Amino acid sequence: MLTALATLLSHYRRHPGQLAMLLLGLWVAGALWSGVQAINASARDSYARAEALFTTGLDRLERRDGEPLTRADFLRLRRAGLPVSPLLEGALEAPDGSELRVIGIDPLTLPGDSAFADASSSSQGELTAFLTPPWQTRVAPDTLPTLSVNAREATGAEPRLDEGRLPPLVLTPALPPGTLVMDIAAAAALLDSEERLSRLVTAPGELERAPAGLVLTPADTLVSPGQLTESFHLNLTAMALLALVVGLFIVQAALGLALEQRLGMLRTLRALGLSGRALVGLLALELLLLGLAGAVAGIVSGVWLARVLLPDVAATLGSLYGAEVAVTLNLPWHYWFGGLGVTLGGLLLAGSGVLWRASKLSVLGLGQAQAWRAGFVRQLRGMALAGGAVTAAGLVLWAWLVRQPPGEGLLAGFGLIAALLLASALLLSPLLALALAGLGQLVRRRPLAQWAMADLQLQLPRLALAMMALLIALSANLGVSSMVGGFRLTFLDWLDQRLVADYYLRPPPERFDAVQAWLSERPEVAELLPTRHADATLLEIEGTDGARTPHLPVGLYGITPGESLMPSWPLLATQAGRDDAWQAFAAGEAAFVNEQLAIDQDLAPGDRVTLSAPGGRETLAVAAVYPDYGNTRGEVLLATPQLAERFAAAPSSIGIVLAEGADEAALRDALRQRALGSDTLVDQREVKRLSIEIFERTFTITRALSVLTLGVAALALLASLLAQARERRRQLAPLWALGVPRARLVAIQLAQLGGMSLAVGALAVPLGSVLALGLVAIINVAAFGWRLPLHVFTGDIVLTLATATAVALLAALLPAARLWRTPPRALLAEESDT
Amino acid sequence: MRPWPGIALLLLTLVGCGDETSPGEPAGFAGLGEAADDFAQASADIELRFPEDHAAHPDYRIEWWYLTANLEDERGEPLGLQWTLFRQALTPPDRRPEPSPWAADQLWMAHMAVSRGDTHRVAERFARSHSADENGQAGAVAEPFRAWIDHWQLASRIETSDESRNEDTFAELSLSARQDDEHGGFGYDLTLTAEGPLVLHGEAGFSQKSADGQGSISSGSMYYSQPFWRIEGDVTLDGETRAVSGHGWLDREWSSQLLGAEQRGWDWFSLHLESGQKLMAFQLRGGGEDGGDYRSGTWIAPDGEPTALAPDELVMTPLETQQVVGREVPLRWHLKIPGVGLELIVEAPHAERWMTTSVPYWEGEVIARNADGEPLGVGYLEMTGY
Repeated sequence: MLTALATLLSHYRRHPGQLAMLLLGLWVAGALWSGVQAINASARDSYARAEALFTTGLDRLERRDGEPLTRADFLRLRRAGLPVSPLLEGALEAPDGSELRVIGIDPLTLPGDSAFADASSSSQGELTAFLTPPWQTRVAPDTLPTLSVNAREATGAEPRLDEGRLPPLVLTPALPPGTLVMDIAAAAALLDSEERLSRLVTAPGELERAPAGLVLTPADTLVSPGQLTESFHLNLTAMALLALVVGLFIVQAALGLALEQRLGMLRTLRALGLSGRALVGLLALELLLLGLAGAVAGIVSGVWLARVLLPDVAATLGSLYGAEVAVTLNLPWHYWFGGLGVTLGGLLLAGSGVLWRASKLSVLGLGQAQAWRAGFVRQLRGMALAGGAVTAAGLVLWAWLVRQPPGEGLLAGFGLIAALLLASALLLSPLLALALAGLGQLVRRRPLAQWAMADLQLQLPRLALAMMALLIALSANLGVSSMVGGFRLTFLDWLDQRLVADYYLRPPPERFDAVQAWLSERPEVAELLPTRHADATLLEIEGTDGARTPHLPVGLYGITPGESLMPSWPLLATQAGRDDAWQAFAAGEAAFVNEQLAIDQDLAPGDRVTLSAPGGRETLAVAAVYPDYGNTRGEVLLATPQLAERFAAAPSSIGIVLAEGADEAALRDALRQRALGSDTLVDQREVKRLSIEIFERTFTITRALSVLTLGVAALALLASLLAQARERRRQLAPLWALGVPRARLVAIQLAQLGGMSLAVGALAVPLGSVLALGLVAIINVAAFGWRLPLHVFTGDIVLTLATATAVALLAALLPAARLWRTPPRALLAEESDT
Repeated sequence: MRPWPGIALLLLTLVGCGDETSPGEPAGFAGLGEAADDFAQASADIELRFPEDHAAHPDYRIEWWYLTANLEDERGEPLGLQWTLFRQALTPPDRRPEPSPWAADQLWMAHMAVSRGDTHRVAERFARSHSADENGQAGAVAEPFRAWIDHWQLASRIETSDESRNEDTFAELSLSARQDDEHGGFGYDLTLTAEGPLVLHGEAGFSQKSADGQGSISSGSMYYSQPFWRIEGDVTLDGETRAVSGHGWLDREWSSQLLGAEQRGWDWFSLHLESGQKLMAFQLRGGGEDGGDYRSGTWIAPDGEPTALAPDELVMTPLETQQVVGREVPLRWHLKIPGVGLELIVEAPHAERWMTTSVPYWEGEVIARNADGEPLGVGYLEMTGY
């Protein structure tokens, strides 16, 4: 048995290239997959910790006028018997410049079943230590690097920040990253907050309504980061899966080749008495050994890749969803087995064909490669059939998706896209074979061209897989870049339309009205755009098809419909035209809803919505739907005065539109004199810059992954060509002998491959566009809640075609160069070997 | 006497690690036997002063204001209630944090219970305060008397003004507390009128807690009671409010070293006898002579004249135990005070009086009878460490 295994493996000693290619495929596929999974696992761990923290899962009380609550409010409410607990939250700057979140709690009044149990330690005396000087800082181990503290010396360390020395550290792994939890007395000292509080919290549902002057935000209206980011991670997973599939194509190609070249050896082994079952077992064992080596290498590199990408992902998730994600990896044990399992499972799937063929091996069959090629016609038929079946499945999925309300079916959407890619890949070889046969007929008067066609047909079985991988990678690349490019254009337009004011001022709530009055007198100001915000529950929708009671938390946002805003504010749909919509809006008769809410709740202009309000219920007509990219929540837009009056909304910011030729510096000086300096005043350009930066970061990973996938496909092609290069030369030798010059031979080879890749690239263009459409019309709507117009970028298409050709030529160059350098005599000598 | 836990029990709540305290802990029940050299110590040399001593004593480790009442509703149905405010110092006096809005050197805990028939409702609260702040979430001040945590409050009904300066604000109190629960809520709103004087236990208010109390660190407390409350008002139970009246007993005790390290728990009785006499008796299990139990008590005449009972003047024998939430608890006792010719069978008519608080204990109404079974009085029994 061992001898037989050694014999089988000896093949790879003679053909180290094949072994390298096999391991490369496994390694690349495993690395991308496990890299992305590591990112996902790490992020999910961060969310779980954030959700377990007491700040989520508790109802919140804040003052209606936006001013901070104080200790006196806390005492007053406790005296009245309300089970409220004080919470102080603030930000500190870490030595490395990043932001740390400080949470001060009162464990004595904090609702008992919140996660303080985890955040607190269980040994006796700890509570006294927590409550009394020098107090304690509870911190997760992955926050230590931010504090420049060595893990071994962490417990009891007192890192120094600008604001002062932190209480001695106590490690609490259950806390989210970047979060310091301490007693409220210690936090108040650090944040210099004196009597002020961030909010009061209470167990969910404990209070039926807010005490006078306060706003109650139920815990269930505070969306958890896990929910928000689910679609983001699904996107990443889909990209990783794509990379895994492309990688496995390489593996399958390599395995097929290795089997074919060993057919003779296998037969000899059978003839020597090795049973068919034992042979298959040995091949499976070989697969397992290779798989383990490849998978382990893949996982190790995957973790490395994740380490490199994670800071970017963390920044994206932070800016997009406000979700804090650790920048250091935190992998659960099942991650390692999961990565190994998926890679090995994929390998088994890719190798199943090889094993099946080996089990069917006839001892007396012809000992040559033709045996496989003869089967290729049958295989083509099978591929065409399978392709047809997958297409049909895709159509069914599509028909189902069409019937779904918009915004549903994220998984089905990915399923549809997967079906589309798979069907195209399966149908590619039959299509290419047909095309080659047809072309061969066309050029039958030109023998060399006809030979080239016939020869390509012969090469097709081996190139098919690489071409399939190339098709998938090119289409995915094109689809993703179209989607991102289109999104970018729309997003930039939208930013320009939304940000009409030159400056945005955020005065303290108690000074809001005074500042607004003062500003309106300034000569520099052309128009003021005060905004307000509040939270409400969408209680009822009356549409054309009856009434519904969704009971959904929504944000309320107040804008000032004036000369500056109305012409530019984008609207997607209106009931009776833009002007009517704005008129009704300005008069306070109607509200606008954002696209996310409209899609999610199937709202259309003309419907009526009823919202919870401090004075009971408020019903408003929906006059228009507006795009609201980047927002994660449903939002209802109202004119600021109405919002303030009917919903007692807290003041938010004042947009300042400058008059023509205004003296900006003078205005800034005047603002600064009134203590409204840079921390309350934001330049519109700065907002834009920041928004674009966030946007770019969001898609960095998507782009990186699609480029990596394309790289893998190129490797697959190169690997396939290298693997068969030696054999190819035998077939070229007779042509040379017939008088075709070597330069011509090389040119034919390059033309063959370049042409075929160009054809694949040409197929990838429509496929990529359909893919982009699927991303834009299904996936984005389901994942983010907004639909984007489909943009087709000629540049991207040209780039795709060029990439296809370049990849093929690059891959063909090495074998061609070798052929160029090989003396003809050697070619003939090889031919005589057969 | 009403010893009370503190940190140990707070911690147990907060870390949610169950409601068991092992009775055999080396530092006594709930850590009350821990050494506390940095705190002020109770001693026989201290003279109690009123009204000042009604207020909190933050220099001592632990302290409580402990009220129990045996009441009847308009139809004569018995009803019991308990209200307790516990204080525990977080730091010794010399290590207090500077006063600041949230800084705390005192922890407060309060228990309330209402019981009637087989129904027993319990609630618990926690708070922090700084001893320099008399307007915190919880506290106890002397003039006019007020002890509170959140909206639970035991306070004087006498407004202090210039004319009433010499009045004893502690003699007329009101007690109110309320808790919502899934049964419709429970609570009370009561007026308390003292019909007799304050009673000092032990040696003029110093109550020794173990046989070797004369050692280097005394284990004992400052302890006085007001056992003569006439109570009237409303009690709500499961959403239903009844007018009630009856007797109440308020214990005041503070200490820094309550138990000896080897003491595991105690059994404590307060009895209102129909003759007008009252009895306070307790035994600390362990810590007596030769490792036995340590007993003490006060026999109170109808006019409030106390007679301290030495360990050998008091016999307390459990007669019968019952299973309560999985523990064997003695609910029938034999009490004998040969010196005054008293012999009683004290029995709890309802076993379900387990306090499901962070540190659990048994506390409920009892009936005292003579050997023939004729009722002689009512009272309260508290048992810890079971």
